Amino acid sequence: MNDTVLREAENESGKPRQRFILEDTGFNEVPKKYRRFYRRQTGPGDTLAPNEVICPVCKVVIRSTRELREGDRVYCMPCMSRLVVVRTDSGHLEAHVVY
Amino acid sequence: MSREVHTLAPDEFLDEVHSFEFWFHSIQGYLADAEYGHRPGTPESELPPDRRERLITVLCNYCIGETAALDGASGLIGFAPNRQAKIFLATQVVDEARHLEVLIHRLAELGVKDPEAEIQRRATRSLQAFRRRLLELVAGKDWEAGIFAQNVILEAMEFAAFQTHARNADPITRELLEGIIKDERRHMGFGENDLGRRLSATPHVRARLQQIKRELDPLVLETFEEMLAELDVPREERPELGRNYLETVERLGFTS
Repeated sequence: MNDTVLREAENESGKPRQRFILEDTGFNEVPKKYRRFYRRQTGPGDTLAPNEVICPVCKVVIRSTRELREGDRVYCMPCMSRLVVVRTDSGHLEAHVVY
Repeated sequence: MSREVHTLAPDEFLDEVHSFEFWFHSIQGYLADAEYGHRPGTPESELPPDRRERLITVLCNYCIGETAALDGASGLIGFAPNRQAKIFLATQVVDEARHLEVLIHRLAELGVKDPEAEIQRRATRSLQAFRRRLLELVAGKDWEAGIFAQNVILEAMEFAAFQTHARNADPITRELLEGIIKDERRHMGFGENDLGRRLSATPHVRARLQQIKRELDPLVLETFEEMLAELDVPREERPELGRNYLETVERLGFTS
């Protein structure tokens, strides 16, 4: 899923973050005003955009209006989890639950 | 355009997702047009007699699981530690009651004349034993053990079983299970997060829960095996299905 890149802004630690306009993906498990922040995985060929991570608890894709970076806090509303974005040894970003 | 959800303060987020308002607007998204858990126009499949029989057995056991969750969640409300947990559990009680109702309705659609009697007749020993132990923990007003047994162990087992079943089910059963899975995300997430917060604050509780896990694991595995055999899931794929449960308990710091 590729959202529209809105602008390159937010100069944090020297490198600007991409911003995204989130499109409705048909995700219907949270109230309407929050639906654009989530989507379902579509299968093995599904690749994550820079503004997306997978919730380890319920496997829904969490989306943000900005490119995600290590240390960012994100929320999974479908399963009510608070998460932090971490960089794995292989260099990928993934979300870990914060209790 | 709504505010970026990820900028909510942690307390604001928890208040929002544990509200009846949040639950109500969430389920409207996927249940507003459903009748007994599926769209009215979804066609009924002609199932071969053997497959129909096995589907009835599986659905009967789902009813046992959902009844356990209904009794368990309603019992937990009485000694839940705070308002947020009480309100969340009230929404879970409604979800579990709906699951039981749509599953019994599905049994009737499949031609079962007396679903209540059929459920008792086909219930597996392991799931009945799990249910009894869960209700003992709830009756003992043991919050951590009750939430662990119900919202972590039972919900993770149901989540995995329903997802697997939905992939190969007839269209009506699939829609019904997909609706239930959406509810289960909330139940599972509540259990893991509530318990995770508690274990962070009171790590000594972990040893007691580890003992309960050791006691319940064989029943969970036996139930999995029996259900997956009825669903014709190849033996080599079965370990994969328990992975969700194992990952959850590992995140909470439990060992196998």
